[in-house]
Amino acid sequence: MKKNIAVIFGGRSAEHDVSIITAHIPIIQSLLAIGSFNVYPIYISKQGIWYSNQAMKSMDYFKGDFEKRLNEKDIVNLSINNGLTILFSGIFAKPVKIDIAFPAMHGTFGEDGSLMGLLRLASIPFVGCDLFASAVAMDKVLTKQVLLAEDINIVPYTWFTKSDWENNKSYIVGKINKFNWPLFVKPVHLGSSIAITQVKDVSQLNNAIEVALHYDDKVLVEESIPNLIEVTLPIMGNNDDLVLAGVERTLANKFFDFESKYLSGTKDKPQATEIPANINKDLIDQVNDLGKRTYKTLGCSGIARVDFLINSVNNKIYVNEVNTLPGSLYHHNWKKMGISNVDLVSKLILLAEERFDSQKDITYTFKSDILSKINRGNKS
Amino acid sequence: MIKRFLSRYSFSYPRTIVYMLQSSEYNIHDYLSWYFKVSDFKKVEVRKKFSKTAKGLLLLVCAWVIVILSFILIDNLLLALLLFPYILAYGIIIPLLLIKLIQLPIEHYLLFKTKTKIKNHKAFKIAIAGSFGKTTMREILKTVLSEGKIVSAPKDSYNTPLGISKFVEGLSGDEEIIIFELGEYYPGDIRQLCDIINPNMGIITGINEAHLKRFKTIDNTVKTIYELGEYLDFLYVNGDSPLALDSARKTDIIYSSSGMGTNLVLDAKTDLNGLSFKFRNSDFKSKLLGVHQIGPLVCAIEIALSLGLSMEQIQKGIAKTKPFSHRLEPKTDSSGVIIIDDSYNGNPDGVRVAIDFLKNISGRRFYITPGLVEMGAKTKEVHLEIGKMLALAGIEHVVLIRNSVTSYIEEGLKDNDFKGELIWFDSALEAYNSIPSITISGDIVLLQNDWPDQYL
Repeated sequence: MKKNIAVIFGGRSAEHDVSIITAHIPIIQSLLAIGSFNVYPIYISKQGIWYSNQAMKSMDYFKGDFEKRLNEKDIVNLSINNGLTILFSGIFAKPVKIDIAFPAMHGTFGEDGSLMGLLRLASIPFVGCDLFASAVAMDKVLTKQVLLAEDINIVPYTWFTKSDWENNKSYIVGKINKFNWPLFVKPVHLGSSIAITQVKDVSQLNNAIEVALHYDDKVLVEESIPNLIEVTLPIMGNNDDLVLAGVERTLANKFFDFESKYLSGTKDKPQATEIPANINKDLIDQVNDLGKRTYKTLGCSGIARVDFLINSVNNKIYVNEVNTLPGSLYHHNWKKMGISNVDLVSKLILLAEERFDSQKDITYTFKSDILSKINRGNKS
Repeated sequence: MIKRFLSRYSFSYPRTIVYMLQSSEYNIHDYLSWYFKVSDFKKVEVRKKFSKTAKGLLLLVCAWVIVILSFILIDNLLLALLLFPYILAYGIIIPLLLIKLIQLPIEHYLLFKTKTKIKNHKAFKIAIAGSFGKTTMREILKTVLSEGKIVSAPKDSYNTPLGISKFVEGLSGDEEIIIFELGEYYPGDIRQLCDIINPNMGIITGINEAHLKRFKTIDNTVKTIYELGEYLDFLYVNGDSPLALDSARKTDIIYSSSGMGTNLVLDAKTDLNGLSFKFRNSDFKSKLLGVHQIGPLVCAIEIALSLGLSMEQIQKGIAKTKPFSHRLEPKTDSSGVIIIDDSYNGNPDGVRVAIDFLKNISGRRFYITPGLVEMGAKTKEVHLEIGKMLALAGIEHVVLIRNSVTSYIEEGLKDNDFKGELIWFDSALEAYNSIPSITISGDIVLLQNDWPDQYL
C-alpha cells in the first residue's frame, strides 16, 4: 500500500519563495517519480494560512501571480491528535492520515524547529533535522557558542539585540571598531544570505545594522577572512553513519548572496560553484572531518549543509554556519557525486523512519504515584 | 465510471469530438475506431489541443448546431439529454462529408495546377519513398547537394498531395534540384504522388511494419512503396533494409552502410559526437549518430557525384549533416545528463539502430519508451523483440509507459534475463518529467518514440 506523505512548504519566512522551489525540485518531483507515495502538498502562505490541493504538486501552480489562485476551499486544518491528519474543507472530503512528513520550509516558522515541534507532538516520522539541531542552527550566534564549546574554529564575532543597539549604540560600535575590517553584518536567524551586508568602514555600519534589524531582532557582526576561499559541504545521515557530498567551492567573486545562491547557474549566467572544489587534498580532508564534527555537535540528522571559510594563505579553516535544510537539498551536488534526486529523497525518508523508530525506544513517560498522593493529601 | 460517462456532458465535449476528427486527419474510420476506445472524454486532449483551422472551426460550429438541433427535434427532454452525445459523435460525419464534397473539386484543381507547374519546371526531381528514413534522407541530400546546386525541399513532412501542392506553390522557379518526400498511407498513394511530380530519380530508404494496421499485410506495404519503380528505370534502394532489398529489381542500385557496389565503406566509427568513415578514398565526418546513417550518406555521396559535385564539395556537405530534431538528437542538460531525443522514431528498424547505438556507449543508460503504434498483428512480436534487444544490450534502466503494448517489452526483458532496473510510469509526460529526478551527471537517456493522443 502506498504511504501518505505530506510535503510542507512556503510559510512566514523571507525564504518563502525558495521553499516553494525546494518542495518541488527535487522533493515532490522525486516522490512522484518513485511512485510509491500518495503525495499531499501542504502550502503555507505568507500570511500563515495552510492550503492543500493536488494541483500544487506541479511547480506550474506557483508560477506568476499564484496567490490569486489560492482558493478558500483549499484551506486545510490539521489534527495532531495521535498522528497527523489533514482535514480538508467540504462536507464529503475524507480526512487523510499522514504517514510521514517532509518539511521543505526555509527560515523562520519552519526550518527553525517550529514545524519540527509540531510534528514531534503529532508523533510521526519527519525528514531532516530534529527540533533541537534546527533551533540551534537557525541562530548563527547560538551555533558559534555551541561550536566554540567543542573547540571548533570560528570567526571572531560579536552580537547584540535590537534593544541593545538602541540603548548602547556607542558601546557596541566601540567594540566593533576593535575588529579587523572589513566586517559582515548579518541578521542572526535568516538564511539564504538575505540582508547580509559587507561593510568596509564605519560610515556603512549604521545602515547595514538597520537593514539586519529590519529582518531580525538579533544581529551578528563578524570579521571577514582575508584570501578567502568559501566552501560548503552537504552531509546526509544519522549518528555516525554519514554520507558526504562533494566539497563545493563558490566561484562568485564576492560573497554567497541570495542571487548567487539561487539565481545563478542558469542558462544566462555561468555556474558560480565548483564541485568537487579544486583545493588541496589536505584541506578537503580537514573540511570533511570538521563537517562531520560540526554535524554531530549540533545533533543534526537526516541532512544538513556546513559552510566553511578558508584563509588560503595560512590554510586556516573556520566553520561559518550550518543550514539544516539546504536549498533544494543541494541536489545538484549530490547528483555530481552519483546520487540521483530519487536516491537522495528515498534515503532521507529511510533516515527519517530510522530516527523515528529509534526514538520509540526512549522512555518518555514515568509512572509515579504523585497524583494519588495529592488526592490522599486532600482527603486528610 | 459515472465520472467517465458524465465526461460526455462537459462543455468541452463538442470540441473534443472535433479535435479527434482533426487528429485522425479527418479519416472517418480512424476517428470512429478511436471514439469507440475512449471512456473519459475529458482525458482526450492531452498531448495536443484542438487547432483553430478554418475546417476545424467550421466543424466546431456544426457540432454545436447538432447539439442544439438534438434538443429541438427530440420532444422528450430526458431522451434528448441521453442521446445528444451520441447524435453528435455520429452526426458530425455528415457535415464532414459535405465539406469533403466541396473540397474535392477544389483539391482537384489545386493538384492540376501543381502538376502543370512541376511539368514546366526545369529542375531535376528526386523522390524519396519508404516506411522510415525519408526525412533523414531528404535532409542529408539537401545539405550535401546545396554545396554545389540550388536545392529546394519541403521543410516539414509535406508528403501528401495537398502538402506537396503547398510546397510547390512556394517554389521560385530557379531551383536546380527539388527533393520530394512521398508519404504512403494506403495502396496507390505513391502512384498518385508520382503522377503529380514526375520524378527523374528515386530512392527507397527502407520498408518495415510502419502503418501495417492500414496496409493489412507487409506485402501491400512493399507493393505500395515500389510503385515508385513504375516511373523510373532504376532506383537507389537501401540494402540495410531486408524487405526493401528483397523486392529490388535487377536494375536498381543498392546502397548500404557497407558501401555501394565495389566501393566499400572502411573504418566506420560512431560515438556521442557523431560518426566517421572512409569511402572512395576520401575521409568523411558527420555529426549524425549511429553507423546506420552511413548508408544514406553513401547514397547522397553517389547521387552528388552523378550530379556533378566535386568530392571536396561533398566532403564539406557531409560534414555539415547533423542530427535532425527528435531523431537521435543528442542534447546535454544543465546537470550534465545526455538526452538522446529519438522521439520521432517510432518504427522497429529505428528502434533497432537506436538500441544498437546505445549498446556501444559507455555510461549509465536509460531507455524510455511507450512502445510502437500501428504494428497490427505484429504488435506482440515487435515488442518482445525490443525487450530482448534491450536485455542483450545490457541497458541499466528501462523506463516503460503503461499502455496496451509495453507489457510485451517487459515480457521480452524477463525472457532474456534482463539484469537492469525496470521503471514504470502512467504517462509519457510523467516519465519525461522524472528524468531530472532519476538521473545523475553523465547518464545517457534515450527517448524512443512519442505517442499521439489517439493511441491508448
